[in-house]
Amino acid sequence: MLAYVIQRVFQSAIVLLVVGLVAFSMFRFVGDPVDNMLGQERTQADIERLRTTLGLDQPFPVQYYKFLTNAAQGNFGVSYRQGRPVSDILMERAPATLELAAVSGFLAITIGIGLGVFTAIRRNGFAANAIMSISLIGVSLPTFLIGILLIYLFSVELGWLPSFGRGETVDVGGWSTGFLTSSGLQALILPSITLGLYQMTLIMRLVRSEMLEVLRQDYIRFARARGLRERAVNFRHALKNTLVPVITVTGLQLGSIIAFAIITETVFQWPGVGLLFINAIQFVDIPVMAAYLMLISVMFVGINLIVDLLYFAIDPRLRADRTAAH
Amino acid sequence: MRLPLLIAAATLAFAGQAAAREFSWAATTDPQTMDPHAVNSAPVLGFLNNVYEGLVRRGRDMRIEPALATSWEPIGAGEGWRFVLRRGVTFHDGSPFDATDVVFSYERASGETSDTRSWFAPVSEVIRVDDYTVDILTSAPNPIFPDSIANWMIMDSDWAAANNTTAPDKERGTFASLNTNGTGPFRVTLREPGLRTVLEPFGEWWDSAGHNLTRAEFTPIRNPATAVAALLSGDIDFINPVPVQDAARLAASPDVNVIRGTEARVIMLGFAHAASALKYSDDVTDANPFADARVREAVALSISVNAILETTMRGSAEAAGQLVSPAMRGYSRTLDPRPGYDPDRARALLAEAGYPEGFSFGFKCPNDRYLNDESVCQAITAMLARTGLRASLDAMPVQNYWPELRAGNFDMYLLGWSPGTFDAEHPLRFLVATPDDDKKLGSWNFGGFSNTEADTLLPLIRSELDETKRQAMLDITASVVRSETAYVPLYVQPLIWGVARHIDLTQRPDDFFMLRWVTVN
Amino acid sequence: MAELSSQTPEKVVERSRLRVAIDSDFAWQFRKSPVAIVSAVVVTIMVLAAIFAPLIAPYDPFDPGSLNLMNGFSRPMTPNAFTQEVFWLGTDDQGRDVFSTILYGMRISLFVGAAAVLFAMVLGITLGLLAGYAGGWTETIIMRVADVQLTFPAILVAMLIFGIAKGITPVEYRDQMAIWVLIIAIGLSDWVQFARVVRGATLVEKNKEYVQAARLIGRGSGAIMLRHILPNVLSPVLVIATISLALAIIAEATLSFLGVGAPPTQPSLGTLIRIGQGFLFSGEWWILLFPALTLLTLALSVNLLGDWLRDALNPRLR
Repeated sequence: MLAYVIQRVFQSAIVLLVVGLVAFSMFRFVGDPVDNMLGQERTQADIERLRTTLGLDQPFPVQYYKFLTNAAQGNFGVSYRQGRPVSDILMERAPATLELAAVSGFLAITIGIGLGVFTAIRRNGFAANAIMSISLIGVSLPTFLIGILLIYLFSVELGWLPSFGRGETVDVGGWSTGFLTSSGLQALILPSITLGLYQMTLIMRLVRSEMLEVLRQDYIRFARARGLRERAVNFRHALKNTLVPVITVTGLQLGSIIAFAIITETVFQWPGVGLLFINAIQFVDIPVMAAYLMLISVMFVGINLIVDLLYFAIDPRLRADRTAAH
Repeated sequence: MRLPLLIAAATLAFAGQAAAREFSWAATTDPQTMDPHAVNSAPVLGFLNNVYEGLVRRGRDMRIEPALATSWEPIGAGEGWRFVLRRGVTFHDGSPFDATDVVFSYERASGETSDTRSWFAPVSEVIRVDDYTVDILTSAPNPIFPDSIANWMIMDSDWAAANNTTAPDKERGTFASLNTNGTGPFRVTLREPGLRTVLEPFGEWWDSAGHNLTRAEFTPIRNPATAVAALLSGDIDFINPVPVQDAARLAASPDVNVIRGTEARVIMLGFAHAASALKYSDDVTDANPFADARVREAVALSISVNAILETTMRGSAEAAGQLVSPAMRGYSRTLDPRPGYDPDRARALLAEAGYPEGFSFGFKCPNDRYLNDESVCQAITAMLARTGLRASLDAMPVQNYWPELRAGNFDMYLLGWSPGTFDAEHPLRFLVATPDDDKKLGSWNFGGFSNTEADTLLPLIRSELDETKRQAMLDITASVVRSETAYVPLYVQPLIWGVARHIDLTQRPDDFFMLRWVTVN
Repeated sequence: MAELSSQTPEKVVERSRLRVAIDSDFAWQFRKSPVAIVSAVVVTIMVLAAIFAPLIAPYDPFDPGSLNLMNGFSRPMTPNAFTQEVFWLGTDDQGRDVFSTILYGMRISLFVGAAAVLFAMVLGITLGLLAGYAGGWTETIIMRVADVQLTFPAILVAMLIFGIAKGITPVEYRDQMAIWVLIIAIGLSDWVQFARVVRGATLVEKNKEYVQAARLIGRGSGAIMLRHILPNVLSPVLVIATISLALAIIAEATLSFLGVGAPPTQPSLGTLIRIGQGFLFSGEWWILLFPALTLLTLALSVNLLGDWLRDALNPRLR
């Protein structure tokens, strides 16, 4: 057990190193930050001097090594654009993204499971078929287009909901929340629908197919044959057995929500880390870009590691399989 | 569900907001620092002009008027300028303003780490005569010096010393990158970089407030379409810029006014004059047709600027014939308007130059720097194709664009130039003078244009005190630029601001937005 | 598929299995489902239109000399100011015929999508077969990489790859390279599904008697994998490929929308939507609407087809 855990943690660390290298080299080549930092009346001498102070004149491996050693201590350097520590900026922006992701995730899970169960039970009904078809439209429309259309309809034409930003936020112990004001809640509606729609369809379709699978199992037929009420069969027995794979997939999808937030945040000008990242690309703010990607990688690798270890702990068959493979 | 309830709440909230004299505005970029000496760029200087002040300032019509100095006069026969300072001015933190702060601000703004030091290249010394008199000595007579320092902002020397920010640092930032202490009409009460900046009026301001604001909030919105939606839905009172294509729609809205003007920025085409051969050609690889003035003129004649202005810019820009717009000081009134669209003459000139079938070449263009830059470049590419000038267009974000130009990777390129001094001498120094690092000349003359007459006249123009003689020399250089087709000026970039109907404000040609001229009705 | 299965006599078993499926059940399923028929027809029409775009399109949007700026922003159904031909779907800001740009844009979107899926498929099948058949550390490495990559959203992976490629290609080749980079980026972010399915099936098949027999008579591993194991995993691969195609088309559109995809000189549907978005508020709705509808129709039909295919090939869910 311990050997397996150590091995997996080691593998994760290698993954992080590689992602870090990839991310860092990407940014090193994307553009030159110096041009964004100096004004119109700069001279060649100004440019050279700034390159030296930023360490951009050093060989690439040296830059990467410095970046890694600092990152390991939680120090991602200073944003070229804002002149502030990147970690401060990330902490400032994280609440916006996390709140948006939480609301989207909540919408996706509750509505997704509800519709999934419904379409599985009424699988030949008109409503269920209609929902399935509409859900395909949802999957076939790119997120950005949904966002644009929602803004056009609900903000510009109808004027019901704000078109951008988070509205008023309240600071609760260093965490700026939009949950406590009415404008903050209104501002959440359109972006969270945009962001959650795709995951919602995914969960709905997964629940539906898992439900269909379970519903044909013998014990369900047996339960029906015993004369249990349909409701009890559907929810107490079938849904419960569906949830294990659903929870797993949903866990993995959580990471995707945060990554897809880049697109939603761009469309809605939502002041989270995704928008920060896109803006950083625009201004070649290398420290911010590298830190964001490292953070996302740590998150994904972490989720993956936890899911793996959980499987290992729960499923004895897997344990036998793993040990047999080595 | 709960949606209808929330919507009802939203309607109520908007109704409530109308009564407050609060003002919110958005622009595409956030000023990257609050330090007035760290970055010499329009978004920073424009924003900080609301917070800090210089010795002089520009009025609604761009004229120089007294600010922290009440009067100024030349010393002797052009040795420098004497400024008499305003008494009774205090900084936002309550400390008084005097000559020490001016000398300190000169040192800070002209220091090694400052991005504004090129402004002070003509200055040899700044002397504190007494508490309210300062002498600024120049190494050569400098008639336009007071005009060139409207954006030189004065910072409190004690505040800077106490907060360890006596020199700007654009890499790591200092206390002054996030905090401000100016003498201006507004003070920054909240600064969240990239998110929002909140300002409130400064009660002790020396001038009478022309505005009626109680609070102003600035939000950077990168996506122009989002900004337009925010203005239309009433979330924002003012946006700058309005995408040209949305101006008509906004103007038709009952809640929004569109204010148009022309900016100081001239959009033009530049050429690789000094290159020995084209870099991106399929057919002419051993010669540089753009070294021939006839070919450059053919480019100018192949482009129908009117069609671009009418369609791409939707009638909201004006054609340009010189490197500066007519609103600038030193604009040459003696020169003819720009030559018109004449593809036949263009073809004849190409044939004369030895390219009757035209040739192919590379055309570089930014895609996020100027209004509709990429669309304009595409339109130009199509127009040039009809006279046989087959451009292959390469449009890129501005972050890759400047390094490309600096590396000489172009045959032809698009450039916008806004003279920081609002004077025709400025583009001569940066775009026309033969590049010379030591003399800080021609630093944006990427194509290496070189003309002896222009080079000889430039230093004379810079030190000439007599307005008429100076203009005569500027007229000569303007006609040299025209006859050589050093650049092809296309149009003056339009200023299009979108303002909620209940707001009154003033649009200045340099695209600076001054809160002190805003009234909420 | 036909070529793969028609080479050896041992194939007969597999081949007839496929035949049976196609001849009877599969085809019957297809005929029974109006949704499948309609989406198959729509996809076929769109693919043909994309392939023959140069013949169908009234204008060549890539020939700058043929454009006239004075035709810019023509509404749908208005005539060309110079030739009196009608712009069915209007023109964009450069005076380009929207119908023609959509045809050419669809061509690029479909090409990128199909090539990316093909790339992902070949890569995934190869690695899947290798992992399943070879086992040991080969399998461990391949599947670990797959696991990790599966947790990274495809769009982020694609952005990363795109960024690197952009960094290492000289500027003057960027536009020409952009399409290929897109294909590789989307393909690389999408191979895991194929690899997983193929590996699973390989693990099952490799211990079956006929494979053992083939091994006994001295067939090489490569031949065994290609001729015996591969045909058995084709139907799930087909389902994944179809669904991946829709995802790839959308991924391409999203990347192009974010400005890291197809360049404006080779506009895909995503690029057209990005351009059109700028004209939504100014009332030139056709520049956005028609490319968006085309993208929706295309992705929807492919999705419906994939959905149906999955149900049809997986009888348990019927």
